[in-house]
Amino acid sequence: MKSVYIIGRDTLPQSISLGEGEQLSLTIVYASALEGAPAEADIPLTVSLDGRGASLDIAGLYICKGESRLRLKVDVRHNACGCTSRQLFKGLVADQAKAVFDGLVYVAHGAQKTSAAQESHAILLSAGAVAENRPQLEIYADDVECSHGATCGQLNDDELFYMRSRGIPEDEARRLQILSFLSPVLSRLPEDLAESIMK
Amino acid sequence: MNEVLLEIKDLHAGIEGKEILKGVNLTIRRGEIHAVMGPNGAGKSTLSAVLAGKPSYTVTSGSVTFAGKDLLAMSPEERAWAGLFLSFQYPVEIPGVSFTAFMKAALAAKRKAAGLPELSPAEFLRLLKEKMAFVQMKPEFIKREVGVGFSGGEKKRAEVFQMAMLEPVLSILDETDSGLDVDALRIVAEGVMNLHTEQTSAIVITHYQRLLDYIVPDVVHVLKDGVIVRTAGRELVAQIEEKGYEGIL
Amino acid sequence: MDETIKELAGQEYSQGFVTEVEQEFVPKGLNEDIIRTISKIKGEPDWLLDFRLDAFRRWQGMKQPSWGHLHLPEIDYQNIIYYAAPKKRSSRPTEIDPALMETFDKLGIPLREREVLAGVKSKEEYESENVAVDAVFDSVSVKTTFRSALAEKGIIFCSFSEAVREHPDLVRKYLASVVPAGDNYFAALNSAVFSDGSFCYIPKGVKCPMELSSYFRINASGTGQFERTLIVADEGSSLSYMEGCTAPMRDEQQLHAAVVEIVVEKDADVRYSTVQNWYPGDAQGRGGILNLVTKRGICKGSGSHLSWTQVETGSAITWKYPSTILKGDWSSSEFYSVALTNNFQQADTGTKMIHIGRGTRSRIVSKGISAGRSENSYRGLVRMNPGAEGARNYSQCDSLLIGSDCGAHTFPVVHSACPTAVVEHEATTSKISEDQLFYLQQRGIAAEDAVGLIVNGYAREVLQRLPMEFAAEAQKLLSVSLEGAIG
Repeated sequence: MKSVYIIGRDTLPQSISLGEGEQLSLTIVYASALEGAPAEADIPLTVSLDGRGASLDIAGLYICKGESRLRLKVDVRHNACGCTSRQLFKGLVADQAKAVFDGLVYVAHGAQKTSAAQESHAILLSAGAVAENRPQLEIYADDVECSHGATCGQLNDDELFYMRSRGIPEDEARRLQILSFLSPVLSRLPEDLAESIMK
Repeated sequence: MNEVLLEIKDLHAGIEGKEILKGVNLTIRRGEIHAVMGPNGAGKSTLSAVLAGKPSYTVTSGSVTFAGKDLLAMSPEERAWAGLFLSFQYPVEIPGVSFTAFMKAALAAKRKAAGLPELSPAEFLRLLKEKMAFVQMKPEFIKREVGVGFSGGEKKRAEVFQMAMLEPVLSILDETDSGLDVDALRIVAEGVMNLHTEQTSAIVITHYQRLLDYIVPDVVHVLKDGVIVRTAGRELVAQIEEKGYEGIL
Repeated sequence: MDETIKELAGQEYSQGFVTEVEQEFVPKGLNEDIIRTISKIKGEPDWLLDFRLDAFRRWQGMKQPSWGHLHLPEIDYQNIIYYAAPKKRSSRPTEIDPALMETFDKLGIPLREREVLAGVKSKEEYESENVAVDAVFDSVSVKTTFRSALAEKGIIFCSFSEAVREHPDLVRKYLASVVPAGDNYFAALNSAVFSDGSFCYIPKGVKCPMELSSYFRINASGTGQFERTLIVADEGSSLSYMEGCTAPMRDEQQLHAAVVEIVVEKDADVRYSTVQNWYPGDAQGRGGILNLVTKRGICKGSGSHLSWTQVETGSAITWKYPSTILKGDWSSSEFYSVALTNNFQQADTGTKMIHIGRGTRSRIVSKGISAGRSENSYRGLVRMNPGAEGARNYSQCDSLLIGSDCGAHTFPVVHSACPTAVVEHEATTSKISEDQLFYLQQRGIAAEDAVGLIVNGYAREVLQRLPMEFAAEAQKLLSVSLEGAIG
């Protein structure tokens, strides 16, 4: 399997099953400004951890501009014992765009010793943009450590002021802030892709 | 000689299918202090957990008699009511539960089991204050949540405080010296010694000599690979300190 | 541990008794005639009958919602009695039946006003030590205490029916202003058939000197309870309101579909606390109350504040989302919740915080505890509208699992259309710690008491928000409700 999927260029499988001890690391990228990116994208992905001790590490990055619409629906299903999943999604929404992250962590009855963590963070860059997070946990086993965190906000004014007071022009300072916000996911991408996204 | 308080016979026990204690024999009489020493992984903490009845451990064979009763047939709380106290190597945190509420529940359960009436709030408070002074704990501690935000030393001191409150017949101190500086070590050890009587006994589990400078044992055992390989008087402590475990066996 | 879990079952629900009292009923079933009959019994004005009929017609066009994480049984709405009231004795129509007095006594709800002891206590002390109660028994309010003492300050506290008679303008102005008749299926049903409930109006600048409360008691079999509470806090006023409820143990399930509306004007402060202890059904999942409730408040004026605190331990099924519309600039709201389910109970509960005004603030703290074979879900919405500049929300939703056959779920939606608004949501799910349990047991605390202690500690952040009178009761309830959950 590939490790990086760019929406509009690569075909992301809708459903993946991980067997015993299997590991998968996956990064999904959507940037409405990238060549070939659809203005409206509905991305469903289900990853089932079906074998004991399987582990999943999934990250996503989205930048929605103009009137683009993105819906990411990620179902992570823990069907076996002792599996681990990590999810990290980061997104920027600007102009009149709308992004929805709908992420489910499902732990089946009997899937003990599950460890699942999901994080989803969005930043709104303009009035008129909309971000929606639906981080869901559905858990039917008790010996589990599951968590999710979701935030939505804007770039931090204090940071911006700090950089400007050091002589960094506002535009550049904002770019640095965005870079810093996205870097945990950007660092998973090939350098040339990361650069073209940040343009 | 005083009567036998605890008698362990050919005890085999382990966790998750792995045998750790492989035939431990140990007899403790009232009034005695025994030290159990030994290298890492010898089974020292397993022994204390099994005696206190930690559910994750399984006893596969052997017997333990405590004050004439079958200890292994008792639930953890019944063992506590019978006067067994374990000072935990890693005391747990219980968010949202104050020390006062915790001690009140523990004491009430113990008194109920003994057929005694619950202490009045005033009596309870007096006892609390007396015992806190005894281990030199600051009064504000009792309002804090159990273990939450405590330093290593504070946690250990809180263990000895609980011991003072519950007045056990047999105290098991599991690595009570770890994480303590010299001053705290002295306070804790003095607390333990002051609680010690002709009728009560203690098992001191430790790696090092330093705690045993304050809590002087009558008998010293060396536990290795799940069995007691050597038993002697207190002079053994100095030999271990000098020659190491390899050197004395 | 597993054995402890089993041992905790089989605790009696101590409020499960039935009061023997002669009652009058309307015929079973739901149609326009029934609604006209209820309205007539209550001597209502035409506008209120029209309101009911309009709601009924809306309800007929709606479907029972199925989006909750619940197995809601098929409810036969024609097989429910919509109005049941204790008969007034013709010889003494104004006095309360002693059997009812005794019932509320037994439930710990004081319906007698303690007298001011001349010279012993100041009026302020006397007031602060008392709680005014509106006691609702099946479909009617049987008594509202301290009415005259409160009236001295201009506070109106009475049954809904009396409010309709005595303060029709206020009722008409605010009724359905927060929860419209067609808001949802159960709110529409309530709007059509509601029988009684509490009404409260705190005038401008008045700090209510005592806690006000409503106590709801279902007694008759085959009935449903459909009460309506309307609270209006005028500018700069403040109020702490408590709500409690219980019902007899029966094998049949009974429907409770209430509506609570709260209007908070500029700079007013309302704290609404609930300890929900409806009969939860037995250990095999038979019987219990279906608690399908709409509660909503509006922070209408700037600087207004509304706080929800709920402890939910009862009901076979709970479907309940006390919500706040933060309309006024700088208004704020909180939702603090403990929901505990055991045996076959199901709860789908949470809140909505709708941020409209600038600088609005909200905070959500939810603690779910699942045991037995129960299902417990947090469901929430935080919505930042485009104009909610600088608004903030922080949500923390924790779930605790006791035993391996229950479910704990978290279904939040965080929707933001305002770049300057900041929303943070966190959730965790874990099981009760075996280390904590063993530690407490080693100190001599029996397993079930240890679980009660741990759960109370876990819920403390919420419990400490309750008024004193409620906190101790809620603590006890959490421990009792868990009996049978641990072994």
